[in-house]
Formats: sequence, structure tokens, C-alpha cells
Amino acid sequence: MNRRRFVESLCGGLGSVGLAAMLQERSEAAANTPAGPHFAPRAKHVIFLFMTGGPSHMDLLDPKPALLRYEGQRPESVDLRTERMTGGLLPSPFEFRRHGQSGIEVSELLPNLAGIVDDLCVIRSMYTFNPTHTPARNLIHSGNIAATRPSLGAWISYGLGTENRNLPGFVVLSPGARGGDLWRSGFLPAEHQGTHFNHAETDPEQMIRYLRNDVLGAGDQRRQLDLLQALNHDHRDRVGGDSYLDARIRAMETAYRMQFEALEVFDVRKEPARLRGDYGETPFANGCLLARRLVEQGVRYVHVYYGPGQPWDDHKEINRNLRERCPDMDQASAALIRDLKSRGLLDETLVVWGGEFGRTPVSEAGDGRDHNPYGFTMWMAGGGMRGGIAYGSTDEFGFQAVEDRVSIHDLHATILNQLGFDHERLTYRYAGRDFRLTDVHGTVLNELIA
Amino acid sequence: MRLPALLVAAAAVAAAQTAEIEFFERRIRPILVGTCEACHSSRVAEPMGGLVVDSRDGLLAGGASGPALVPGSPDASLIMRALGYLDPVLKMPPTGRLPDRVVEDFRTWISAGAVDPREALTSDAPAADEGSGPGTSIEEGRRWWAFQPLKERVAPVVSDPDWTLRKIDSFVLAGLDRHELQPSPGADRRTLARRAYLDLTGLPPAYEELENFARDDAPDAYPQLIDGLLRSARYGERWGRYWLDVARWAEDHPTSEATNRPFAFAWRYRDWVIEAFNKDIPFDRFVRMQFAADLMPGFMPSDMRALGYLGNSPVYHKDRRLSRDVIETIASDDWDERVDAVTRGLLGLTVACARCHDHKFDPITTEDYYGLAGVFASVWPANRPVVRLDAERAAWLTRQHERLYRLKGVYGNLQDLDTVAEELHAGIVAMKPEFEALEHELGPDETPMTPAVVDWGVWVDGSTPTVTRMDLRPGQPRDLPVFVRGNVANPGKIVRRRFLSVFEPGGAAPFEHGSGRLELAEKIVGEAGPLAARVWVNRVWGWHFGRHLVRTPSDFGTQGQMPTHPELLEDLAARFVQNGWSLKWLHREIMLSAAYRQSSRANEAYQSADPTNLWIWRMNPRRLDVEAWRDSILQASGELNLAMGGPSAEVDSDDPARRTVYSKISRGRLHPILQLYDFPVATQHSPVRQVTTTPLQQLFVLNSGWMQARGRSLSDSVAALSDRDARIEALYRRALGRDPTDGDIALAKAYLDEREAQIGREPWDEYAHTLLSANELSFLN
Repeated sequence: MNRRRFVESLCGGLGSVGLAAMLQERSEAAANTPAGPHFAPRAKHVIFLFMTGGPSHMDLLDPKPALLRYEGQRPESVDLRTERMTGGLLPSPFEFRRHGQSGIEVSELLPNLAGIVDDLCVIRSMYTFNPTHTPARNLIHSGNIAATRPSLGAWISYGLGTENRNLPGFVVLSPGARGGDLWRSGFLPAEHQGTHFNHAETDPEQMIRYLRNDVLGAGDQRRQLDLLQALNHDHRDRVGGDSYLDARIRAMETAYRMQFEALEVFDVRKEPARLRGDYGETPFANGCLLARRLVEQGVRYVHVYYGPGQPWDDHKEINRNLRERCPDMDQASAALIRDLKSRGLLDETLVVWGGEFGRTPVSEAGDGRDHNPYGFTMWMAGGGMRGGIAYGSTDEFGFQAVEDRVSIHDLHATILNQLGFDHERLTYRYAGRDFRLTDVHGTVLNELIA
Repeated sequence: MRLPALLVAAAAVAAAQTAEIEFFERRIRPILVGTCEACHSSRVAEPMGGLVVDSRDGLLAGGASGPALVPGSPDASLIMRALGYLDPVLKMPPTGRLPDRVVEDFRTWISAGAVDPREALTSDAPAADEGSGPGTSIEEGRRWWAFQPLKERVAPVVSDPDWTLRKIDSFVLAGLDRHELQPSPGADRRTLARRAYLDLTGLPPAYEELENFARDDAPDAYPQLIDGLLRSARYGERWGRYWLDVARWAEDHPTSEATNRPFAFAWRYRDWVIEAFNKDIPFDRFVRMQFAADLMPGFMPSDMRALGYLGNSPVYHKDRRLSRDVIETIASDDWDERVDAVTRGLLGLTVACARCHDHKFDPITTEDYYGLAGVFASVWPANRPVVRLDAERAAWLTRQHERLYRLKGVYGNLQDLDTVAEELHAGIVAMKPEFEALEHELGPDETPMTPAVVDWGVWVDGSTPTVTRMDLRPGQPRDLPVFVRGNVANPGKIVRRRFLSVFEPGGAAPFEHGSGRLELAEKIVGEAGPLAARVWVNRVWGWHFGRHLVRTPSDFGTQGQMPTHPELLEDLAARFVQNGWSLKWLHREIMLSAAYRQSSRANEAYQSADPTNLWIWRMNPRRLDVEAWRDSILQASGELNLAMGGPSAEVDSDDPARRTVYSKISRGRLHPILQLYDFPVATQHSPVRQVTTTPLQQLFVLNSGWMQARGRSLSDSVAALSDRDARIEALYRRALGRDPTDGDIALAKAYLDEREAQIGREPWDEYAHTLLSANELSFLN
């Protein structure tokens, strides 16, 4: 805007930006898309439901009746080194039953997920490389135990770019702001780092830093911005054009519009009451619902953390804790799958569920379970994965993955594959070599792809 | 029998070929690599004259003047005319004719058919060949341009000698001449002064300073200005911060669990760096001090702070309940981080690539890697006193502080007794009274301490099945085994601690003194000094110009970029060393050049011919980094507190509002404002800052309470002026360092009137906030 347009806008009322301008912005954004996929993608978006702390597979999705037979014993095969001291085998008190066409066994703790089990691709043979939270969490987020590499979401943002320039391509929903170390861009350009929002809040103004101007209303702010842009254009005319100058002028406009777009998009209260009822109204439910709204608006990757801290880290009183924690997780996760499906979004959205590891079949402190990197369960849904399948298995007690073992790198390779990337070719040159999310590992799980 | 005869003939040919190849390798290739490839290589962004000599095909194809080589016919080969200085124009190398013997070698080689084994090499795909030897042998690698001794260069002949003000300019203009470009006109005096101030001090000049300079027509006004800025204490705060990026300095560890809690006095290293820059400590000494100030002659206790470079390295949590192999892997990650930070930061070499296999492209072996890593396995971080004490007392304090830190760490790690084997309980419980006693003992002691290192070898003790111990051995350095494929569970041959063999033609002698950290530093600025000087000069160039001569400033190996101006870099680095590694000398040399003083205005024709300004036809316009931007705003609002040194405060604190260099820097929880504005994550060395321009940054500018408060302070500072024009003028002078134009004033009045009509008063806070948000303040021309 030049001075004349500024003066016109002062005379002509609100300089609001119309839908057409926003649409034009979006088509420009599409033209800026980076390298892009290597082959036709099955999925365009990922929602990762992260169960921080490591949920117990033996109580949820991997039934182990042998635990009861050997209760309290410690046969040689379970005498594995664990982070903490552990005792004998601890049976699960929860009943498992077969569900759906596929007949996959699911615990009574998860009635809603049991109802959609034919959409789930359950992997019972996951394993990881470190029994401690931080390194294991780094590994599942970035492919490496040290906190230095780019996060999965950053790789995806780097590979696919954003579909909507008014919103970040990589969104992190976490109640309580644990540091940005898990959603860092590492050596990838900083624009790919995850943008964190606190979904314990439902009011977007509470959720997004600096989203709201406490001093000026929208119209007044538009005037201030028009003045600023007039100064910026004068400056540009004086010193000569430059891409940085233009970029900041554009970013100012986007920021201004984002205030209103975000107010709309981030507000789950705008959903019909019945749908909110389906999800529930807990923070995690709001996160799942918000994830769907963001994906609809073109966000590439949404990482939803279940609760602050490490809620699934049940070193003691695990049975009581699971009874408290499972209902809303189960209800909201299942509602998300159903909701995506009914909107035709499940085909293009890959949903991934799991934690940094599982839990031990042997007890800790009598009624708890320790960290288990040797074997655990995750599930995926949509995004071109097969539904109604239970893949791989752990040993008879659920301690170690034994059949069709799947590493974190395999999981990453598969996620990238569904987005149209050959994980060996999605690279970034840094410190003298080409880095990959999967380093020198990773095999795509072709058997699990529809 | 025909067949055997053929075989004999083939063998004879092969033998002859072998001799030819050997001749090529001994006599020809070193010249091509060492003398020609800096300008004529496929790795150069734009090989001069279009000629590349790093493959046989390149020589055969030739460049703008035709094929360089006709095998068998030296007289028909252009390269012989150039080397022999037989042509009136084409004389190569331009720095002087090579010795007759060398020219004769080329004649011999071409006469014999110009046998060149490199064609075979380039047609292979060596990169895919896992586990093979190094991409280049150590012997061959020594010939790489960046490892050659530094030599001052002759300034090239240029089209317009009057334009050149310093030697730098001849090299820059020669590059422009070759590409048929011309330099931009000089920047106007106000622009130049603002550039110099922000460049050297990170703060814009005050209005009066700018005006004084603009009116000063003394011929030495500009050099005087530079000298004055170099004497300012603000200089060290600006340039010290650049070094802190290279040194990946921060005040805590990536995750900060019990065993890697933050160090209390990390800021003392930051203060030492700022002082060192202000004192212009020669760069070679500056490097040595950071490895081993305590072992150098003339050691002053306050120099101990320099050891924060190593003592404040990022450390990963080591949960003692994990197995020996897991802990040793984490420890070896720590050592790897040091190898990486030191070699990329100081030498522009990616030595960490050789952790699992010999470097695939550069002459660095796995043994080289473990020779260096051993130095870092022989030091341990510890707080040490920064005041003069008798040696015994100093050692005692260091030991007690270290013991306290470690005991509290292990106790914090294992205090939940339910999680630990029973036989350990008594020992863990006993730790608490022990460290409480230590705290009690050290509590009244007010000796200032600083994060440093001590020469203690580091082993990992897995002899107790339920807990893993760090086994620290004071005075006993540790030579590491090669961990085969990087796996600590698969130790190979033990490697003596030593330097990289590519820099040691006579064989790398093992380090003999303590951990070897002083010897390592001596090697970096000694044997590898030419490389270290090139790397540092290139970094400094990049900070001045916004772009580097070697665009991969932490990779000078074969995978990095070649310099755009090889002769310039060679000459400047050679003279930097001759001038006592003085950074202030280097600043003057660069800033007094005509190249530096150019306008930054774009020119459409050149913009399309050389869009990234490879040939320096203008100054690069830049966005200010977060430090200069935040400091500029605080200076404009009149709130900047220039107190130096001491503990850090959060970047958004404004009471007092100190320079951004004194902000808290966290590895794991970097402040959102710093994250937003591209501050590097200090978990490892990062070669350059990225510059992003995002809407989230602008939300901060438009909406944050911090920015609004600065607008209020700025408007308060002019509130005493009752005249509206005078206020507007004062605001422009404060915020943008200039007088408003008539147009600016008209715009301001239109805005204030319009808003007054709406809200019943003139919103000066809002107006001041807008000026502080302007591009004019955020960018440097």
C-alpha cells in the first residue's frame, strides 16, 4: 500500500481483507511448495496422538493370558534389565474380547476404539533403543536419542510445505508448554519448527501468544497497520526493493489476518454440541477436535500430547490410573477417526497413536510397571494404511517384540512413505553430509499398506 | 600361441600406464590441485574462463579460449602457452610463472599422452561404497587448497585502479571485471555511519552522532569513526556474541535432569569473551586460552573463565540405572559433540563424520577421530576459582565443588529408592548427609568459581550389575579405542591422543601432557593454523558482508563450497596472520575498503545477472538479528541500560533492560522470543544463523505487551514537547535517527487527526509503537 491508498483507507473506512485476497494468498502459497513428494502420496496430513510416558500394551491392545498363569514368577525370559527394579509377572485385570469383522482383541478399557477396530492398523511388535523417557522420546520424535535432530513434523513441513500460509505447517498441541526440544527444526530452516499451542485452553486468545492486541480493536489495529505499511513502502521506495523488506511487509499482513483466522480455526467451541459430545470435553478431546479442524485448513502435521508431563508413566497403581485415564483417551481418539471418516478426510489423513515405549509385564513397586523399550504397541489409521489388522507380536508375556519386529525408524519410513516420500531420499545437507530422518535405517512396512 | 603374447603385451602396457600414472600423481596432480583448482574446478561456483581442471574431460573440453589440452602435442596445448607465459594475455597462474621444472613436467606429461587416472575415478560412484577407505588418501588430501601454507598474493590488475582503496578492492574488482559488472556507488554518509555503528557495536548511532559525521568533511573522518567504534566497549558485546554462536555457548544442558543440572556461573565465560574481544587478544592466543589458559605462561586467575568453552559444553543426562553400554554411548555422544564443535567451529572440518567410518570425502580417518575424542575423554567439567589462591586450596575447592555437583546429581537420579536395587539403598541414603555437609562447608565460601575443565580421565564402570558409575581418574588421561561403527560395545584398536594426520606429514606424535588439550590447541593454530585463519577470516567476512566468501563456513572440506574469491581469501588470511592475528586489524582492513562502503541499492540488470551478489557489486542489505533489533528498540525508547557483565536475565525483562547479549540462553528451553527470531539452538555448533521472516514474529511486534511498553516509553520521552511538529521530529530522531520528511509529517498528522476524531485524543503511544515496528529500524542498508 502506498501513501495514497493509506489516505484512501483512512477516508474509506475499514481496510478489511476480503475472502478473495485470502484465497489468492493461498494459491500463491501452493506455488511456493518445496521439493514435494517423490511419488503419488496416499496421505496429505498426519495427526500423531502422543501418549507421553509409555502406555501399557498388555492392558490395552496386546492380551497376555500367560501373565496370570505365571503370576508373581520371574521366568528367565523376562529377566531383562529395566530402568528400575522390577519383580515378578503382573497379570492384567482387564478383560479382552474380539471385536469387529477383523476380530482383533481389545481391552475392556477401550470400548470406543474397539468399536472402530476395523479401521485400525495395530502394530504389536514395536521396539525402541533406550529405556529412559528423554532419549526414547527424542528417538520417536526425531529418529535420534540426542536432542539435536529435526522433529518428524519439521521434516514433513520441509518436504511438503504448507497449504495455508495463514497457519503454521507443523502444529503442536500440548497442555503445559514442555520445552520446544521435541518439536525443533534442528538443522532444517527455522520456519519448519513446530508452533506450540496450549490446548488445555479452548479460547484461542488464551492459547496463542500475542494473538490478541489488548490495546486496539480490529479496525483501529488495521489503521495502525496501514500507517506502518505506508512507512514501510516509503522506506522501500527510498532504499530500493529487497526481498527481505517485501517478506516482512507480507508477514505483517498475514499476522494481522491470522489473528482473525486463528480466532475462528482454533475455536473448537464453534463445533456443534453433538459433535463435541462425541469427542468429550476434556483437554485431550479438545486437542483431537482441534487437530481435525487444523487438518481441514491445510496444516500438515499436528502433534497432540495427551496431558502435561508424563501421564502414562504408571510406575505404581497402574490399574487404578488406567481406569481413570483411558475413558477420555478412548472416546476422543475413536471420535476423531469416525469424524475424519464421515468427512472423507480419513483417506488423506494418517492418524498415529502411541508413546515413547511400552511397559513391563513384570511389576514395579508391587502394582506398577516399569519402562519397556523391548516391545510395545502402537496403532495407525487412515492415510492409506490397512484397517482391521494386528501386525507382529511380542513374546508370551509381552516383554519383547519377537515376530515382525518394527523399529521406530521403520515407523518413520512408513509415515514418510504414505506422504509420498522415499525416506532415503528426503535428505538435508548439513555438517558435511546428507541427513535423513531415518539416518541409515528404516524399512517401509509394505504389508500394512492398503 | 597368440594368447600369452597378448597377455604379455597387455601387461607391458599396464606397467607403462602405471609409471605414467605415478608421474601424474607425483608431478602433475599436486600442481593442478594446489595451484589451479582454486579458480578452475567443478567445485567453484563459477570456474574462471569456464575451465575446470579437476577431471581429464574438463581439460580436454577446455574453457572460453578453447581446449586446454591436446594429448601428445604439448605445442598445440593451450595450457602449455599459459604455463609458459608465451601468450601476451593468457598467463597462468596469474600470481607468477611456475618454475621451469614444473612447466617441463607438464610438457613431458602431455607428450606421453597426458595419462590421467582421474577419469576412472569420476565415473565411479565412490560415495555409495560403504566401509571403503577414505574418499581421498591422507597423502592426496594434503594437497587440498585449504590446507596449503598461506601466502600473500599480488593484487591483480583491474579496470579502474582509482576505485580501489584497500588491497581487498583489487580482488573484488577483478572478480567484477571478469563478470562484466561494476561496483555500486558509495553509500551516502548517513547510511555508511549507521552501517558501521550497527556492524561494530550492534547499536545504531544516535541522531547527533550521525549528523556530526555527515557534516564532518575531514578526509579521515571515516577511519576515525571506525577507530572510535573499535575502542568502544560496545564492540566486544557485539563481536563476542558472534563467537558465542560458534562456541555454542549456553547456560544449561539440553535436558537438565538430575545429573546434568545447569552450571551456576556460565555467564563468566560470556564476560571473558566480551573482554577478550575488547582487548583484541590475538586470535591464536584466544583459541589456546579456551583450551588451556591454566597451562599457559602468564596465566592470570581471571583467565580461568576462558575454559568455559569446554567446561560449558552440552552434557547429556546419564541415568545411573542404565547399563554400562548405554552410559558409555551417552558419554561418547558428549565427546562427539566436542569433536564436532571444535573441528567445524575452528577448522571448518566435519571430523565427526569419521566416528563410524573413515570420512568418505575428506582425508580424515576413524583413528584421527578417536585420537581427538580421547582428549575430551580425558577432561571433566568442573568449577574452578577465578581468583588467586594457593594451588592446594584451589584444587581442594575444585574437587569439593565437583563432588558436590556430582553427589547431588546422582542422589537426585537415584533418590526414589523403590526404583533401585536394595543393596544400593544404604549408599544412596548416605549421600544426602554427605552433600549437605559439603554444602554447609562450601556455603560460607565466597570464592568466585567458573565452569572449566580438569584433566581427569573418564571411564564408565559397569562392574555392579544394578548401577553404573562414572569412573573419574584425576591425572590419568584416557586413550580411546576405535569404537567400530561407532558402537561402544565393539571396541577396536586403542588410539593414542593426537592431532589429525593430514596436518602432520611427519606422522602425528601422541600428546604427552595431561589430557593434551594445550597441545591440541597449539596444533589447531599451529600446524592447522593456515586453515584456522582461513576459516576465521571467512566467518568475519560473512558477519561484515552478510555473505561469506566460502558459503559453507563450517565446511572447508571437499564437500563444502569453494571460495568465490580464492585469491582474496588467501591474501587476507595471510595478512591477518602477519598482523598478529589481530581482529581489529581485520575489521579496519575490511571496513575501509571501497567494497564495504558500497551502496546496498539493487540494480535490476545486475540483480538478474548475479542475484545472490556472488561478485559483491553492492553491499548486502540485511535484517538485523535479534540482538541488534532488540537493542535498537531499547535505545530508541531510552531504556537501554549499558551495565556490563554479570548474571543473565530473561530477554523480555525490562528492569533493567540490558543488552541482549546478557540474556539467559538455554539449550533446552530457549526463550520464545529468541526462538522466534532465529537464535541458534546451542545443543551443538551451528555454522550460520538462518534469517526467517514469519507472521508469528509480527504478532509479537504488533501485539506484545513488551513492544507496547517500548512505544509508551518512547512517547513519554517526548511528552514534554508541546508542539506537535517538534514531537514528531523528536520521535523520528529517537526511533530512526533522522529528521522526518514533509511527507512523514503529513502522514503523522493525518493519522493523529483521524485517530483523535475517533477516540478523542492523539494516540502518541500507538504512533511511537508504530515507528518502532517499522522496517527502517529492523533493516540495515
